[in-house]
Formats: sequence, structure tokens, C-alpha cells
Amino acid sequence: MAALRTFGRMVLALLRELSDESAYERHLRAHGRVHSGEEWRRFCEERLRAKYARAKCC
Amino acid sequence: MKKIAGHLAWGIVSLVGAGCLGAIAVDRGEPVNSMWLVLAAVCVYLIGFRFYAKFVAANVMMLNDKRATPAERLRNGHDFEPTNKWILFGHHFAAIAGPGPLVGPTLAAQFGYLPGTLWIIIGAVLGGAVQDFVILFASMRRDGKTLGQMAKEEIGKVGGFTALVTVLLIMIILLAVVALVVVNALKGSPWGTFTIAATMPIAVLMGLYLRYWRPGKVLECSVLGFVLVVFSIFAGEWVAHSPTWAPWFTYGGLGLAIAVIVYGFLASTLPVWLLLAPRDYLSTFVKLGVVLMLGVGILFVRPDLQLPAFTRFVDGTGPIFAGKIFPFCFITIACGAISGFHSLISSGTTPKMIAREWHAWPIGYGSMLLESFVAIMAMIAACARQPGVFFAVNSPAGVVGLTADAAAATITGWGFAVTPQQMTDLARQVGEETLWHRTGGAPSLALGMAHIFTQIGGSEAVLRFWYHFAIMFEALFILTVIDAGTRVGRFMLQDVLGHVWAPMGRISWMPGVIISSLAIVCAWGYFLVQGVLDPLGGINSLWPLFGIANQLLAAIALCVATTILLKMHGPRYMWVTLLPLVWLTIVTYTAAWQKMFSELPRVGFLAQARQLEAALEAGKIAAAKVGETNTLIFNARLDAAVCGIFLVLVTAILVDSVRLWIGILNGSRERTVREAPFVATQLRAEEL
Repeated sequence: MAALRTFGRMVLALLRELSDESAYERHLRAHGRVHSGEEWRRFCEERLRAKYARAKCC
Repeated sequence: MKKIAGHLAWGIVSLVGAGCLGAIAVDRGEPVNSMWLVLAAVCVYLIGFRFYAKFVAANVMMLNDKRATPAERLRNGHDFEPTNKWILFGHHFAAIAGPGPLVGPTLAAQFGYLPGTLWIIIGAVLGGAVQDFVILFASMRRDGKTLGQMAKEEIGKVGGFTALVTVLLIMIILLAVVALVVVNALKGSPWGTFTIAATMPIAVLMGLYLRYWRPGKVLECSVLGFVLVVFSIFAGEWVAHSPTWAPWFTYGGLGLAIAVIVYGFLASTLPVWLLLAPRDYLSTFVKLGVVLMLGVGILFVRPDLQLPAFTRFVDGTGPIFAGKIFPFCFITIACGAISGFHSLISSGTTPKMIAREWHAWPIGYGSMLLESFVAIMAMIAACARQPGVFFAVNSPAGVVGLTADAAAATITGWGFAVTPQQMTDLARQVGEETLWHRTGGAPSLALGMAHIFTQIGGSEAVLRFWYHFAIMFEALFILTVIDAGTRVGRFMLQDVLGHVWAPMGRISWMPGVIISSLAIVCAWGYFLVQGVLDPLGGINSLWPLFGIANQLLAAIALCVATTILLKMHGPRYMWVTLLPLVWLTIVTYTAAWQKMFSELPRVGFLAQARQLEAALEAGKIAAAKVGETNTLIFNARLDAAVCGIFLVLVTAILVDSVRLWIGILNGSRERTVREAPFVATQLRAEEL
């Protein structure tokens, strides 16, 4: 059961990484800020600009 | 005792692997069960991972967990961040898995299941995974530098420039060919077209939801988007049966091509948060979910492979694409075995997130093995239906005949029985008007996937749903490659044009954005329209061109990797990357040469142009078709020229590399390893 829980946590962590939610949390921590709509938009500007400047795989 | 048990376990894995490979290689006559392929692949992957990759990691790369990675040394909370090994594995896999490993094996199944399967397994273990792994390692030791930067630093300026131009050209061909796959899948299909069209307002809704209503709730928003997409699949059936709505969503190839081109332009110019990013989130989750479902489905259903081990088309007369098994099987399957594009990912985000050097082993090498396994699953799905149906769906009208009767007679004449009634029934079962001549691989793969999912339990209605679900899945993430690719191409072009006129280099200057986006969509749009108008279905000319380009990029990556290994150890371990490089060079140069200069018009672009020219001069072309024929002649010459440009670019980097290697070996050139200096890690285990 514990192994299953660990696996579930890992899957959730992966989904949060893929969805940039973890990156947003890191961004808040790194800049000592709290979540707000404005902050999320600021994060998105930077994050998405860098993300979509790289080629996507075929 | 533990050691003996370990040896025994690996002995059993080796025996099972060898037995399964032997079985699929020598079994003839009766259909082979797909489990033989699955077991053979898994055993070879396990052995490759445990022994070969570990040898490369320990002896060649000398990975060292005491050395701080860039993620730790340059940690900034953005790009550089130490990340859990398994999370990064999933992240890297999601980044390298595109439509290639699904479509390539489906097309290559025209040779039979065996050649493609062996190439996918062996190519990945000895070539593709090694390339991904070594480039990831090299980038990780160089502060996360890109392939282009490493090529410039390790080989020279020619290498860096060549890598940049090659990537831009490859992207143009890639975007055209994957767009063609979508166009061919949606042609004359109001159900499919409606579902895909619906994903665009859904993505915009998701974008607004994330930006204004629930900022930061990406997972929640993606669940909502997924529910709406599934609803649109059900609504698509209603649209397809509605006499009012169906005509609004029924288009021919050209209409759909124009729609995809307009979409690419909009996605490149609109704010990224509005359309591109929400689609990308949705596509990533759907992609991972479907790959998992397909794996479970195959294990549950264990379908028999209906296609033989080899078909008669190994002689080069295949209807899907022309050319002999060598070199074209190895060009057609790129991403499942070895893909140059992966080197861009391995030198992109991933090296900046690795917490420990040894994590590169499962992430770099292991992710590619998983991608290879996806290709094996695609091969199984493609071969799970009757061969006659497979060829009926994938063969262009220009090869098998325009009418159902003519096509059925041609395909049955090849020894793969199929009847018009059988195809009509199948089309009705999946809710389509017709399934003849649906080239590109996507409909055929969707049929295979729907067949597998339906066997788990379901009726005709379920088959219809799964077929359109699979089409939605393929089109969704292909369109994500198109929109992101167009945007990246735009940035690259702006970067180059900025050196000529500074305002063009500003990525937020609207005229510059519009001009460069137009230039990129026109470039790939031209090849797309060329493919749509091609009487042989377009895949015959464009897919090999894409395969050659992708493998040539892999050759560039392997040149960089070989140079680095030579600088690290001298000639001792050069063979690790030199052997796949030599193989790829032989394969791609042979394929490119044949595509340009073969005397057979279906294979050689120039022969095709000459044949059409002769027909024109002999007055065999109707007056109404003269303009179209002239365009076909121009396109054939253009394709030959593109092939030639690829060869020249890669020859430049190969010559540059070989000169450097000879210089290093005879002592006339410096052997400097340009790694970041060693810094001991301070990262604690609990931080990972």
C-alpha cells in the first residue's frame, strides 16, 4: 500500500512538472513572492517564451 | 548467493530474448502472436540498459555522482533545478515522444513486420539511445549547452552554422510531412474534422481560464479540456450525420491544407498563452495516457500479427513508398530507432534539471528505449489487421487505381485479399465515408488501435468511438508539433534576419513577427500543398525526405559525440558513437543518392521529372493538366535540390570532423576537453 502511495505521489509530481505547476512553485520560492493572477501571468510570460523557443520533437 | 541469483536472472532474460528473436525471425506461415515481439524487445532493452549502457556510463563517460551538475551549480529556480530522477525521466520522455515513432513503423510495415521490428530494437539499443545518452552527458558537463553551441565549440564554426541551417531546413520538411499526415487523416471526414476543429476553441477557452479565471491551475484546466474534447468526439458523430452541419466540416485535401496553414500562422502570431500553451498541455497528457493505454491494450489483447514477416515489397516496388528495404526501411523508421531531433531535447531542458550524473543513465538511455517500445507497439497495431485492409488504406490511388474495384483487384493481385464490400463495411463501422487511399499512416494506425481497444470489450459503437479518439489523439499532438515548430522556425528566422536589419530580430515587433511567420508557413505550406497534389499521395516523396533529414541531424550529433569521446580518451572508445555514425552515413547517403539519381521514376526525383517532361513533350498530357504537370516537374526538381542541400551541409560537418579527428590522432591538433570544472556536490539525498 505504501509503495502504491509513493507511486501515486510520483505520478502526480510528474503531472505537476509537465503542467508547469511545480515550476511556478519554484518561481514563487525563488523570488519570495506569493501566488496571484498577476504573478502567474508574469511567470507565464517568461516560462512560455523560453519553452516555445525550443524545437519540439518529431 | 545474491550474485549467483543475479547471473541466473540475467541468463534467463538473455535466453528468453534470444528465443523470442529466433521465433519471430524464423517463424513463417502461421500468424505470429505480438507477445513474441514484446518479449523480444523488452529482453533486448533490459540487456542493453543493464550491460551496454552501464559500460558506456561507467567506462566511457565516467559518470560521477560526487560532481555537482549544472542543475545544482547554476540553480536559479527557472531552468536550472535539480529534479527527481523519475519525474525527469517522464518529462524527457514526453519531450522526445512525437508522431514519428507512431507513423514511421506503420509506413515501414509495408516490408512486413520483421525488418522494421529488428531495426527499431537494434537501432535503439546501439544507436538512438547511445546518441541521446552521450549528447545528454556532453551537455550536462558543459553547463547545459545546446547541440549547436557544442558543435561550434568542439568541431568549429562550420559545425555550429551547419547545425543551425540543418535544423531550420529539417523543421520545414518535418512540419510539411506531419501536416500531410493530418490532412490525409481528415480528408472527407466531417467527424474527424469537427473534433479537431473543436480542440481550437477548447484551447482558447483553456487559455482564458488559466489566465483570468483560475491562474496557475493547469491540471484542473487540462481535465476540463479533456472532458470537452471527449464530448466533441461524441458531438462529431452527430455532426457527421447532420445534413446541415456535415458539409461545413467536409473538406478535400487542398481545403484542409489551407486550414492547417492558416492555423500554423495564427498559432505563431497569437500570444502563446491563448492557443499554443493550453493545446500543448492537453496534448502532452493525452499522449502519455494513450501510449499507456495502448501498452495495456496490447498486453491484454495479445493480437496476432496478420502481416507476414516479409512482404514482396522488399524489392522496392511498395505502394506506400518506393525503394528497397535497404536503405529505405532505415530512413522511414527514424524516431523509433534513432532520431537526430532527440539530440536537441537532450541538449535542451533535460541537462539543466539532472540532479546526479548517474541519473543520465535511465533518463538519456532509458527514455529512448521506451520510445523505441512505443514504435514496437505502433508496428503491432499496424500489423494487427488483415494485410489487404492495411494496403487498401495506405496505398495512393495513383498506384492501386481510383475506383474501389480497381484498387481491390490490384491489392488482391499482390496476394493480400480485400474486397470493396469489406472496405465499405469497415468504413461504416468506424463512421467514415471511405477508407480507401487514406495515406499517411494515421488512419491505418487508428484502425489498429481501435481494433485493440475494442477487443477489450465493446461493440461497433465502441469501435467508432475509439477510431475517432485515435484520430483525435494523433491530430492533436501533430498540430502541437506544427504550431510550436512554426513558432520556433519564426524565432530562428528572426534571429538570422536580425543580423541584416535589427528590427527584424525583435521578437515582439509585430511586422517582423508577421513577415517571418508568413515566410515559415509559406515554406512548409508549399511542401504540404505539393504533397496534397501529388498523384502518388505525397508520403512517397516527403516522408523519405524527412527521414533523410532527421538521420542527417543524428549524424551531426554523432559527429559531436565522437569528437568529445576522442578528446576524452583518445581513439579507445570512439567506436561507441563512430559505429552508429558510419551506419547512418552509409544509409542516409545511399537513400539521398537514390532519391536524387535513381533511374526509377517512383524512387528518383530527377527521373520522375524527366518522365513527366517526356510525357509532356510527347503530347500525352491533356491540355487541362499541362500546368499541373509543370508544377509536378518543378516540385520533383525542388525535392532533389533539398536532398542535395542536406547532403552538402552534412558533408561539410563530416569533413570538418574527420579533419579534426585526424589532427587529434596525429598530434597536430589540440585535444582539449571543454568541460565545466569539477565542483563537489553539496546536494543531500533528501533534496531529490
